[in-house]
Amino acid sequence: MEIICSSLETLFPCREAAVATLGELIGDSREAYPSAIYLFGHSGTGKTALTRAFLKECAKRQKVRTAHLNAIECYTTKIMLEILLDSLAPEQGDSLKADNMLDFVEQLRRWHCAPDSKSFLIAVDNAERLRDMDANVLPVLLQLQQLTSLNLCVILLSQLPFEKFYNKTGLSEVISLHLAQYNKAETQRILGSDFTQVRSQLLDQFGQDSKRLEICKEAVTEEFYNNYLNLFLSVFYKACRDVPELHLTARKCLSIYLEPVLDGSVEASDVSRLWRHIAGPLRSALTQIYMRIEKPPEEAADFAAIEDQSVRKMAQSLELPYYAKYLLIAAFLASHNAANQDKRLFVKHHGKQRKRMQTVNARAKTSDKMSTTLGPKSFTIDRLLAIFYAILEEKVGLTCNLLSQISTLVHLKLLSFVSGEQNIMDGSARLQCTIGLEFVLQIGKVVGFNVRQYLCDFM
Amino acid sequence: MDPTISVSKGCFVYKNGATRAGKKAAGKRKRPAPGSSSLLSQDVVQQPFYAEYRNAWNQVNDHIADLQQRSYARTLEQLVDFVVDQGLCTTMDEVLPTAALLTGINQPDHLSQFTALTQRLHAQRAARVCVLQSRDCATLKAAVESLVFGLVEDDAEAENVDEEDEDVAERDRKRLRRSQCTIKQLKSWYSNNFDSERKRRQLVVILPDFECFGASVLQDLILILSAHCGALPFVLVLGVATAMTAVHGTLPYHVSSKIRLRVFQTQAAPMGLNEVLDRVLLSPKYAFHLSGKTFKFLTHIFLYYDFSIHGFIQGFKYCLMEHFFGGNAYALCTDYSKALGCIKQLTHEDIETIRRLPSFRPYVEQINDCKRIIAVLTDDDYLKKKLPQLLRDCLLHFLLFRSSLEFLTELVGDLPRCPLGKLRRELYVNCLNRPTITTPEYKECLQMLSFLSKEEFVAKANRCLDRTEQFLAEEIAPLELGEACIAVLRPQLETIRQSVADVVRATMATITTTSPDEARPATDHLTQVASRQELKEQLLQRSKEDKHRHQQNTPTTQFARAVQKTLHLIETLFVQDHLRPLQDAPPIHELFVFSDIATVRRNIIGAPRAALHTALNNPHFYMQCKCCELQDQSQLVGTLPDLSVVYKLHLECGRMINLFDWLQAFRSVVSGSDNEDAAQEQIDPQIQARFTRAVAELQFLGYIKMSKRKTDHATRLTW
Repeated sequence: MEIICSSLETLFPCREAAVATLGELIGDSREAYPSAIYLFGHSGTGKTALTRAFLKECAKRQKVRTAHLNAIECYTTKIMLEILLDSLAPEQGDSLKADNMLDFVEQLRRWHCAPDSKSFLIAVDNAERLRDMDANVLPVLLQLQQLTSLNLCVILLSQLPFEKFYNKTGLSEVISLHLAQYNKAETQRILGSDFTQVRSQLLDQFGQDSKRLEICKEAVTEEFYNNYLNLFLSVFYKACRDVPELHLTARKCLSIYLEPVLDGSVEASDVSRLWRHIAGPLRSALTQIYMRIEKPPEEAADFAAIEDQSVRKMAQSLELPYYAKYLLIAAFLASHNAANQDKRLFVKHHGKQRKRMQTVNARAKTSDKMSTTLGPKSFTIDRLLAIFYAILEEKVGLTCNLLSQISTLVHLKLLSFVSGEQNIMDGSARLQCTIGLEFVLQIGKVVGFNVRQYLCDFM
Repeated sequence: MDPTISVSKGCFVYKNGATRAGKKAAGKRKRPAPGSSSLLSQDVVQQPFYAEYRNAWNQVNDHIADLQQRSYARTLEQLVDFVVDQGLCTTMDEVLPTAALLTGINQPDHLSQFTALTQRLHAQRAARVCVLQSRDCATLKAAVESLVFGLVEDDAEAENVDEEDEDVAERDRKRLRRSQCTIKQLKSWYSNNFDSERKRRQLVVILPDFECFGASVLQDLILILSAHCGALPFVLVLGVATAMTAVHGTLPYHVSSKIRLRVFQTQAAPMGLNEVLDRVLLSPKYAFHLSGKTFKFLTHIFLYYDFSIHGFIQGFKYCLMEHFFGGNAYALCTDYSKALGCIKQLTHEDIETIRRLPSFRPYVEQINDCKRIIAVLTDDDYLKKKLPQLLRDCLLHFLLFRSSLEFLTELVGDLPRCPLGKLRRELYVNCLNRPTITTPEYKECLQMLSFLSKEEFVAKANRCLDRTEQFLAEEIAPLELGEACIAVLRPQLETIRQSVADVVRATMATITTTSPDEARPATDHLTQVASRQELKEQLLQRSKEDKHRHQQNTPTTQFARAVQKTLHLIETLFVQDHLRPLQDAPPIHELFVFSDIATVRRNIIGAPRAALHTALNNPHFYMQCKCCELQDQSQLVGTLPDLSVVYKLHLECGRMINLFDWLQAFRSVVSGSDNEDAAQEQIDPQIQARFTRAVAELQFLGYIKMSKRKTDHATRLTW
């Protein structure tokens, strides 16, 4: 057990406590395992990696049979059982079959009778998915030790606290183990632990360029790297605590940080000037975190190519046929105007409206009553077409091509069905426009149509 | 083989790949010869016009396909490189390499692009490909099953599997059932077939319509794929129709951090269309032309409705068919030498067709010899002798038209606000539809051209000349009548070139050739005024004269005169002579130009509502029966079908329709309205049954709905 723990502690800095607890619980296969362990914590705190490494060590050193599976894959129970049986008893191949939970438990019980009875560890990733599977899956997994009388432990990994698993029939208690988020110092320590690797990579990279290689050798020291990480975390730590993500972004930005040093324009020790240099790129990298957009090598230079996707650009870059644009505008108007205002907005001779104090007061809208900020309302296809014909100056026939545009817009997720998707024919289907005001204003500008003029909110 | 004419193409019975032996046999089976596969009967297929039609269509189709291949090529190459690279570099674990292809909004059109990608990958033997349609992926289970099935059964690739592996592959294949397709199976299959370093393949998963996928299915699918990235080298290709924000909107952080995105941009659809139009449809190579209106109509469908290049091409094909199926006379719509060969085969009927062409009449009228007129109108052989000259004139006219269009495009294409249009296709339409010279847009263009500075004007004129020369050399010269066309145009271009040279030499000096009567002693007049009234009058008169002189637009500088002269030359030589509108085109141009827009419109634009209304309102239109002939659209006759009567009655009602009143009205129409006291009588059950049935049918068609609010009332759903 000590060997396992010590070998893991070097791999997982700042997780010594968790490793020790796990080691005490399931470190020795000769002792009885707890029935189930629940390991939870946010993403990027090392749950999966830690468990995987632990299982691997256990399998290697103590000949424990282990299984590690991802609950997302198990869209049917059968698949989960197959994976479990496969990895718990690899030598038996395809001969093991389990169609349901009962078969599975039966199968395991038979192993208990076998002479070389062993210990088993099962880890289930994304355990929150187990709740949506068959009702017996989660309870059986939690009590699998009892049911099979094997020395078996199930480790559930999830991001939720265990309270979220309680259901009406109740669950047996488990041992919960929380992996807290790393604090800033810990994060820096973890990111800094791969310094030697980074350095050798950098040296490899500049292998051809002897001058740069020299500078690089000299400049890239542990302290330099730590300074960099410190600056990096001062920007990123507030936004993101997912260690792998930080790791990746830190690697990406390092070359930019290093650039002035390699050029010789800034001393490696001059942190404040380096900071001035890196602050901009870091901030723009912050907007891109988690997006993982990768640029082909030749375009790596222009940093602002893709990330500058303001609504304006997007609306202009989105190509839509002319009438589809008008349909979209009509849908937006239908979604954001009350139906009883239509006559006033779209009919030329709509009669005089009487102004009374009451209506004037009611009309004096505060911003929280604005329908553009309240979100879209649903409308029928009839109303959509009526508004479309009202705002379009030219006469267009109601042709198949036009009607198919509506379904195209639905496919593109610019419109969406609210209800009655099945019975479009009898006119009760209701649609909703999913785009925002800014977007539609831009589209209106492209076709030369003033959208604001037709919105009740801006009257 | 022609893709759409052979309907029988889809009818071969293949045993689905389950038994390999059967499939092999099917592959070896010879397809029937293309001639016999046509829907049309043999005697139609052997007509000369049909041969010409096939010829023309095949040429155009190949040209377009070739063009599209080339325009896809760059993006596809990058994409293939990306996929292949993923195989070479060792990736970080659990990060799924993903390519997002921004395709544009017409998703069905872009399937062909993905097919091309698949073919390329297969050709390089780099990957197994599975195209995963959103309709197959309603649930995660279905998605994974079709994914695994698609990858394992990727047949085109399996053909190439080396002989020694064949039995292994076969065993795998036989075992596979749909429900067995799991990731686990895929893993064992992959390790059986491809594990050795030598033939490691990428597993490419293509989602052609990203937007249509359910968000949760997609997220789970990506999580699964990325979890198995280490063992199975997956590459994901997303076809994104809108923009990258759609991807980021659909995938939450915990999913998007599992992929590595590379964005690829494809050519925008309007650009693609412009290319097709410029290179193919407006190419001087083809004898067939679309009239301005038809051309505009087809592009209009594209730009205003669907952005579908495929749809455009099919529309064009329809025009082509419609044109050639006009009769054997239209077989003349081909190259000059071939057309000469065709003339001999023309029968009397065909000659009559030619005589009936609208443009034939002016031709006859301009002949001033009575005998010759009679000969042209009655003697087939005489007309046949005349035809080659007419055909030649016609073909030459189109070549000249096209070359001049090139000149004009360069001349007016980049003027501010583009009054005549910016693109070649717009100019083509404008020039063909009406006499350009008289339009205000043309005058505006001329005015703007005369406002250009000297350098600009000279540069522009030279560009125009160069481009036309280039066009002549590249496109016109290889053609049959190219020599003749060039012979006409060269001297004209030369004249313009000289005129431009004059412009270069011209100075800005004012020409002081004011005529004596204009040179009026202005000052002394003003001094001699007696009264204020007089002065006012004189000033008024003078300003009028000034204005008058201005309107005559006599340029005052040498430069301006030279510019004016050049523009005038261009106008007379090119615009007036060659860019004539269709109605002024040479005789029998109808053989080469398709202009029957009404038929096309009726046949390629579906108007379901209008068609239904016609069918119900005036059944005679479709049924052509004797009993339902109507004098007036709104007339109600008892002999109409019940459904039609019910429909017409319901048109007269408001929003709610009382069923009983409706029934009464129906009865009075059907049984003839002569008996006044019918209302008191018991209703004939037969009539009631007919009425009920008709109402049910109307409801089925979606015109009415039974109201739940008011008993015995129906709600109208259409207006």
